Amino acid sequence: MDDIQRKYVIPGDVITTGPYRAEENVHLFGDKIIATSIGISEVFDSGVRVIPLTGRYLPRIDDFVIGIVKSHTSLSWELDINSCYAGILPASDVFGRDFDPKVDQLTSRLKTGDLVAARIANSDRSRDPLITISDRDLGKIEEGELIKIPPSKVPRLIGKRGSMIQTIENATKAIITIGQNGYVVVSSEDPDGLLKALDAIKMVEEQAHVPNLTERIQEMLGSNSE
Amino acid sequence: MTSAIIDDLKKKKITALLKDGQRIDGRALDEPRQITIDTGVIPKAEGSARVRLGDTEVVCGIKIQPDKPFPDLGDRGIFICTAEIMPLADPTVETGPPGEEVIELARVVDRGIRESGMIDLTQLVLQKNKTVIGIFVDNSVTDYDGNLFDACSYASVASILSCKIPKWEMKDDAPIKVDGQVIDPPITTLPVSVTMARIGDQILVDPNADEWGCMDARITITTNSAGNICAIQKGGTDGFTQEQLVKCGQISIATGAKIREIIKKVGGS
Amino acid sequence: MGVKKTDIVLLDDKGIRCDGRTIDQPRRIMIKAGVLKNANGSAYIEFGENKILAGVFGPRDVHPKHLANTDRGILRCRYHMQPYSVSERKNPAPSRREIEISKVIKEALEPAVMLENFPRTVVDVFIEILQADGGSRCAALDAAAVALADAGIPMRDMVSACAAGKVADTIVLDINNEEDQEGQADMPVALMPNLGKITLIQLDGVLTPQEYEKCIDTAVSGCKLVYEVQKNALRDKFFGDSAQ
Repeated sequence: MDDIQRKYVIPGDVITTGPYRAEENVHLFGDKIIATSIGISEVFDSGVRVIPLTGRYLPRIDDFVIGIVKSHTSLSWELDINSCYAGILPASDVFGRDFDPKVDQLTSRLKTGDLVAARIANSDRSRDPLITISDRDLGKIEEGELIKIPPSKVPRLIGKRGSMIQTIENATKAIITIGQNGYVVVSSEDPDGLLKALDAIKMVEEQAHVPNLTERIQEMLGSNSE
Repeated sequence: MTSAIIDDLKKKKITALLKDGQRIDGRALDEPRQITIDTGVIPKAEGSARVRLGDTEVVCGIKIQPDKPFPDLGDRGIFICTAEIMPLADPTVETGPPGEEVIELARVVDRGIRESGMIDLTQLVLQKNKTVIGIFVDNSVTDYDGNLFDACSYASVASILSCKIPKWEMKDDAPIKVDGQVIDPPITTLPVSVTMARIGDQILVDPNADEWGCMDARITITTNSAGNICAIQKGGTDGFTQEQLVKCGQISIATGAKIREIIKKVGGS
Repeated sequence: MGVKKTDIVLLDDKGIRCDGRTIDQPRRIMIKAGVLKNANGSAYIEFGENKILAGVFGPRDVHPKHLANTDRGILRCRYHMQPYSVSERKNPAPSRREIEISKVIKEALEPAVMLENFPRTVVDVFIEILQADGGSRCAALDAAAVALADAGIPMRDMVSACAAGKVADTIVLDINNEEDQEGQADMPVALMPNLGKITLIQLDGVLTPQEYEKCIDTAVSGCKLVYEVQKNALRDKFFGDSAQ
């Protein structure tokens, strides 16, 4: 029941002409709607947009992301979240509202190099995005291995209703935490399981556009079992 | 310096006037500012000129001295043209090694004159493959009001036209200067550089500092005495259509011819 | 220009050039997108004997901070030749020629790159000339544009570059090294093919007004040929076998 016309585009490709609204990743030139990113163009209702297949992570409110602490001031930490801008985690988010920079040392909770599971609290282009870790499933990541994939591949790694990620977790007994920003943490008590999981993630990244990928991953994981 | 901020109201005024084909200082679109050329201003140099193009001012000096030829080019003299912007020319100019803008300026001015073949370098050989005459043209921008490309070019050309080359004689493989004797430079053509700015759909000749600060793109085209084009450099953060480029070519030939008449009057100091 | 060292026939009476090409035939062009692991975007090009690598980082934080623009991202570009890229070893320090070419390439890409949505950031374009032949700045630009698209930098259009020139009184497409040294004019041109805007044009050499127009036409047709190669390079990487 697809009323959407899709095609592969690169920057400069004319997607269509006519009275359409220019949505994400396109621009208007005269009456032509032109792609500005490599991706899949969609013409729907009265609008045209392109879903990009490449590019850095663009923060959106409530996105779950994994960050790496880069540095800190006396009032906040700066996190690498694979975006054009660093993510800012205010000290008050961790220490509470009565945070006192003279008493509460930031490095006692998080230091440079720490991995953090976080959520985007606020994002507008005029300031660096604000991060929060004050929910139950957020906070410092104590164990696991970090692997980076392009943010555009994250939906493929998750799969329809989580099918791909569940396939990999079940076959390898690993726990995989996927940030929308393309940073992924894999942990497992079984070192072989860990390696298999990392291989599987790499394979998804490299073959994201190949059909029947879930079956091929299953085969690959099955054939490697003892 | 081209990144100096032009206030928004001025920008709006410039664009509004241009919609009616008018410019902020009342000039026609293809009209350059008044060009004033004085030669022989630095008597110690072998050639010199001070040029005022509107309020842009450039002092150019030529030093001529014997030199070793470039490898593989032992049958011709040396011509090197440089340009630098002095810190007193504008509050935003910094001291220190030249930035990309100044490097581009120097190279474009040099190429315009070199590619035209203005100086017949084969006439400047004292001893083939060993000793030749080097003509060093150095431009110093002393006041900035836009369009340094043309100001430096006119100053260089005027200096070259009015310079006197000392006479050297070779004695035991060393060049000895013969006092009191000079020769005129071997000139084959008179290159004229015309720089145009595109603001919106309009092409303007010789942009002043305000126009330079809000132009979309610029192009410098040098023509020779025969009306042929010998050097081009496009600059600025936007582009030109093919039709606009053809038009710029035509303007550079027509306006260049008029400016050539002004520069021609310079001859001996 | 140089003293003739050999008796190269630049154009024979059958219209064949010194390397066997006809007057409107470009040299062999090959482009591969996404060749580096660490750069956000990259491309490798072989254009005639030019071998050039381009890498893009960004948008990312600007250092030093005072260079940042609070309204929009900035573009930085470095064209750099390796010491072994030319017959006589080139000093690794940036020369004035490389600095000028870096500026000219940056200004050829700026009209295409859309950095309004990335204030206080920089997009860095690094171009390394591994082996140089005539027309290296055009080839460098062709690789840089592909690398920018590969990195996901939003662009109004691609930028495609190719040079034309005059050799033996004839306008020809894509001049090689010998034609550059011994020929009569060299005009590199870059084009945004869908928007029809020329974003780089330079000329060394003498052209009549008619030759000037013909030279631009010829270079533009070369740019359009290069555009097809750039498109295929990106499609091969991202769309694989399912490219339409």
